[in-house]
Amino acid sequence: MNLFFIIISTLLVISSTLVVLSKNTVHSVLFLIFSFFNAAIIFLISDAEFLAMTLIIVYVGAVAVLFLFVVMMININFTRLKEGFLKYLPFGILLSFIFLTELTFIFSDFVVDLKEPKINIESLFLSGNSNTKSLGLFMYTEYFIIFQMSAYVLLVAMIGAIVLAYNQNKKVKSQNIFYQNNVKKEDVIRLTDPNNKEK
Amino acid sequence: MEIINYLVLSSIIFSIGLLGIFINRKNMITILMSIELMLLGVNINFVGFSSYLNDLSGQIFAMFILVVAAAEAAVGLAILTVFFKNKGTISVDKINQMKG
Repeated sequence: MNLFFIIISTLLVISSTLVVLSKNTVHSVLFLIFSFFNAAIIFLISDAEFLAMTLIIVYVGAVAVLFLFVVMMININFTRLKEGFLKYLPFGILLSFIFLTELTFIFSDFVVDLKEPKINIESLFLSGNSNTKSLGLFMYTEYFIIFQMSAYVLLVAMIGAIVLAYNQNKKVKSQNIFYQNNVKKEDVIRLTDPNNKEK
Repeated sequence: MEIINYLVLSSIIFSIGLLGIFINRKNMITILMSIELMLLGVNINFVGFSSYLNDLSGQIFAMFILVVAAAEAAVGLAILTVFFKNKGTISVDKINQMKG
């Protein structure tokens, strides 16, 4: 099991490095999908089945496809995108190295105090609940407010994306419904006398 | 599974995402993908601790991180398309309209 974890995590690290470094953006998106699959396998190893499936459905099915659509919609010269690459590479490597070193210092004398877990997975599992059911048992009761707030986050994000991406084309004629409903009879109908030749 | 495996993996992925933000100055799409990678590293950390401490709260929190990541990707890509429509480029160096 440990060897399997190491193989999958090596694949994950390699594919995520290629996301950052690859020249073509389409290849980056495909490597991103591959790294999401590997992360889903790691979640499966850690007994988080529902999160693994959600990762595949939400990320691979929605977010990565969104990225692919945007990459294909935007017509840019991909060879010119990497021009400042070597200029910023030493700076970026230095910063990431400093960050990793700091984390290594933290992890070198890292002690986890094993307290009594707030929501015990094992006792939930032994009482016959699957991973999905036990997530639902606590997400809809104890974390209900946060659940609703995340729904509002999604709603606001959807409205924001629509407002940003919607372009109103002024050249196309469209009906103004408010104006159309408020038209009175006197505005549009003019009565004329047929016997009067002047009109 | 030892907790140090999860810690090393998530910190490496987070650092790769950080590196990607710094070196891809001409490509905003790759920066958004690097942010997704960083969030993935955080998620791996949460799930690893959830498995190690035998506590379900980490997985619930990871769910909410997934929600925020999806919302962020949608809004970021909408901003990207609007920016490309106005400027004809997706370089971060060209975002200087407000002289900030």
